[in-house]
Amino acid sequence: MKRVLEAQLDKYFNPQTTAEIKVIEGTHAASHAAKLARVKTISAYPITPQTSIVELLSEMCASGDLEAQFIKVESEHSAMACLIGAEATGARSFTATSSQGLLLMHEVLHWAAAARLPIVMVNVNRALAPPWNIWTDQTDSLAQRDTGWIQFYAESNQEVLDTILMAYRLGEQVMLPVMINMDAFFLSHTAEPVAIPKQNLVDEFLPAYRPEFTLDVNDPRAFGGLTKPDRYMEFRYNIQKAMETAARLIPTVAEEYDYLIGRHHGTQVEEYRTEDAEYLLVTSGTITGTTRIVVDQFRDQGVPLGLLKIRTFRPFPDQAIRNAVAHVKKIGVIDRNISFGSGGIFFNEIKAAIYNAKVHPLLNGYVAGLGGRDVTPSVITDIAEHLIKSKQGKDLIWIGVKK
Amino acid sequence: MTEVLEIRDGVPSFAISVGTMEWNKTGSWRYMRPRYEDKIPPCTVGCPTNEKIPRYFALVKEKKYEAAWHIILEDNPLPGVCGRVCYHPCETVCNRLEFDEPIAINHLERFVADQNFTRRYPKHFFVPKNGRKVAIVGSGPAGLSAAYQLARRGYEPVIYEARDEAGGMLRLGIPEYRLPREILDKEINDIISLGVIIKTGVSIGTTISWDSLKKDNDVVLIATGAHKPRSIDLPGSNLTGVTSGLSFLTRYNLTGKADIASRLLVVGGGNTAIDTARTAIRLGADVTLVYRRSRDEMPAVPEEIEAAEQEGVKIQYLTAPIAFLGTDRLEKVRLIRMELGTQDKSGRRRPIPILGSEYEVEVEQVLLAIGEIPRLDFLPHSFDKTGKRVTVDSFQLTNQKGIFACGDVAAGPVGTVVDAIATGKMAALAIDQYLTKGEITPPPQIKNGVPYAELNLDYFFPEQRAPSRFTPAGESIRSFEEVHHGLEPSDALYEAHRCFSCGVCTECDLCLIYCPDVAIKQTRNGSGYIINYDYCKGCGLCVKECPRNAMTFEEEVQ
Repeated sequence: MKRVLEAQLDKYFNPQTTAEIKVIEGTHAASHAAKLARVKTISAYPITPQTSIVELLSEMCASGDLEAQFIKVESEHSAMACLIGAEATGARSFTATSSQGLLLMHEVLHWAAAARLPIVMVNVNRALAPPWNIWTDQTDSLAQRDTGWIQFYAESNQEVLDTILMAYRLGEQVMLPVMINMDAFFLSHTAEPVAIPKQNLVDEFLPAYRPEFTLDVNDPRAFGGLTKPDRYMEFRYNIQKAMETAARLIPTVAEEYDYLIGRHHGTQVEEYRTEDAEYLLVTSGTITGTTRIVVDQFRDQGVPLGLLKIRTFRPFPDQAIRNAVAHVKKIGVIDRNISFGSGGIFFNEIKAAIYNAKVHPLLNGYVAGLGGRDVTPSVITDIAEHLIKSKQGKDLIWIGVKK
Repeated sequence: MTEVLEIRDGVPSFAISVGTMEWNKTGSWRYMRPRYEDKIPPCTVGCPTNEKIPRYFALVKEKKYEAAWHIILEDNPLPGVCGRVCYHPCETVCNRLEFDEPIAINHLERFVADQNFTRRYPKHFFVPKNGRKVAIVGSGPAGLSAAYQLARRGYEPVIYEARDEAGGMLRLGIPEYRLPREILDKEINDIISLGVIIKTGVSIGTTISWDSLKKDNDVVLIATGAHKPRSIDLPGSNLTGVTSGLSFLTRYNLTGKADIASRLLVVGGGNTAIDTARTAIRLGADVTLVYRRSRDEMPAVPEEIEAAEQEGVKIQYLTAPIAFLGTDRLEKVRLIRMELGTQDKSGRRRPIPILGSEYEVEVEQVLLAIGEIPRLDFLPHSFDKTGKRVTVDSFQLTNQKGIFACGDVAAGPVGTVVDAIATGKMAALAIDQYLTKGEITPPPQIKNGVPYAELNLDYFFPEQRAPSRFTPAGESIRSFEEVHHGLEPSDALYEAHRCFSCGVCTECDLCLIYCPDVAIKQTRNGSGYIINYDYCKGCGLCVKECPRNAMTFEEEVQ
């Protein structure tokens, strides 16, 4: 058993590709990724639990370790507005935010995407106020569903770092911005061993950003000017096409990253012990890691339970989900978010995705862990047992609400 | 990689104009219009001669000291004098006062003058003579200022000075430890270099009669000052040992000698009283100064009062003499304590004697410094007078045709060097108009300076005022060396940098940086900016960001 683990660790922290293994928080994993990506512009406004990301970046800029412009601003809206300007000139840029800060950015998030600017942003998933709560909850980022941003959800600090590097590669291919989400505190402020890949390998994976069109004082042009009804729809069509392209590219990018650096976190989804599974739990973020343990326990008892981890919310992995559910009987989606008046947001998307599939397994929607409440193995065990016993699918099942 | 951004039919994936957008003249959207407008800073309003203070500060910042001097000289030919003796009303209205501490404007004026001590006037100060003579009576600051301004305009002023040397009260009244004579001589010589003729030892009414002076000149400017000490009608006023402070000062200042007793009382609270006391203490006397009101009402410059106290002058406030006692010479003074009552005409609280509080002190000498009034005995009675001074209108014109008056002899703001310089300048401008146009129109009224509330303070940080440098009091009383040493050059630069430059553009570029339409450009010669109104949308960011209110935002005229 011990030898197996060591072999896995060797693969995970491959000494051939690793410059250094650091025991760091998720926020600092994000900072190191931005540095490895050789970003040219950083603009951010502080908000817990994001702040330590840009704090470390500001120190890197100040010490000269990172040659980038760090632009201090008075709000998240301005931070994104700055990056829109920077990215339009061809400068690779980075920001990070959380919760209310992300909501304040909303208007310019649409702009960044429709202007086809592949900005990369880390959002630390934090609950929305009121009441004030700084702990994890995905409703902040999921509320940005229609902005045109590619969205990733990470399970570990290592996945945060690796996904940021892949995000630049992917975003710059399809000319769309990318948001990488990590759970507040469970990732953002929990130290884990993180392999920092060698810079030369990252440079090989991620070449310099050279967009086809950039703002140029010697060739002045207007970007995003007035477009009449005879043209507007085509630009929207292009964005949808780019999203579809992104969905096709994500496996390729993941493979290339694996090839060069030696780690693979899945494509749009990651399947865990889904072979012959009759029951399937669907998760995202840090709940996934806990669910792996529960799945192992059920499998040890001979119960055919599997796990589907969703990595991208946009583009939504419709096809991957249809493939994954083709042979299962019952699906339970665990959402750490809520769309008021409807239910769990991942649940609703999955329900929509399988409507046009050939098979229609039983589908339960579980809402758990809002505002950072612990979703422990016993909570997930209860969910799995409930799912297995269910005779009729149910859209919204609240887990652990105190009476 | 497999697929990249798709360009369908040559159309990129996002909206991009095919060329520049300069055809789109966004200026037509504007309903508010920004424009550059230098405004009057409060210090310029506070300065009686309206010196363009932020203008010369800007040059000091660039270490262009000669150009800075030229800016001051437009309004005041005596910056070395004023930089030492002025009561600096500019500093009391400085907007920096509300922020931290006022700028050391007075010290900077002196700094600029001192930097130019060996320089002469630039060529452009010397204009062709127009052949018109103007007679000026008196070579004090008022007469010198008027003569200078007239000479700059081509006139040939002739100053008649009763004393043997020019300078008036600057030479007679102000002690050397405040105003070294080399500074005064330098600035007078500069004025003379313009062609101003100073005829010393010529007293109007004695050497030349008023009538012949008037007959020989189209215009006469009376600038004789106020040299007659106010008398005091108290028992024993005539005793030997009771004299005027001003005559004591004049004697010492001209001859370097003056009779001095060992125990001495100075009466008065003005600058003459303080000068008298500080001169006396330098000559070894034990000096007590009595003033009938409290320190708050004292007309002398506060720094001077403080310096006098530090040098050992004992000041008795709310005290006045009521009799001078002695047989042949003064032996004692009887004093009475006062209390303050209601406000009088001067706005100060009236001193009221406290009955029964009389006491006597033994002194050998009393120097009275309770004010000076002009001598008007050389003038005909036909002149209108206000109080004991010649009545003038706002252009310093008396009730007699072609006769002007300025400085302390004329009614109006009196008693300080800078007021004399200001009225001299005004008289010169009026005389110029009188002789060229036959009538005098008022210059534009300078009223309110840029208020503190109009500044954008985001760009300023509290900074302490640069320290003054003095000779310590114990040392200063041993000689008549100048006590104040001005500012270190680094401190002068620091003070110039502290200046808000209220209402006066410093070309800080903030307007240019903030313009979202890139509609602001530097002018081709690099001084100031121009707004391209074809593209300015009138958002007003430039006006809002301007730290010093040197821009104006107004409704667009359709």
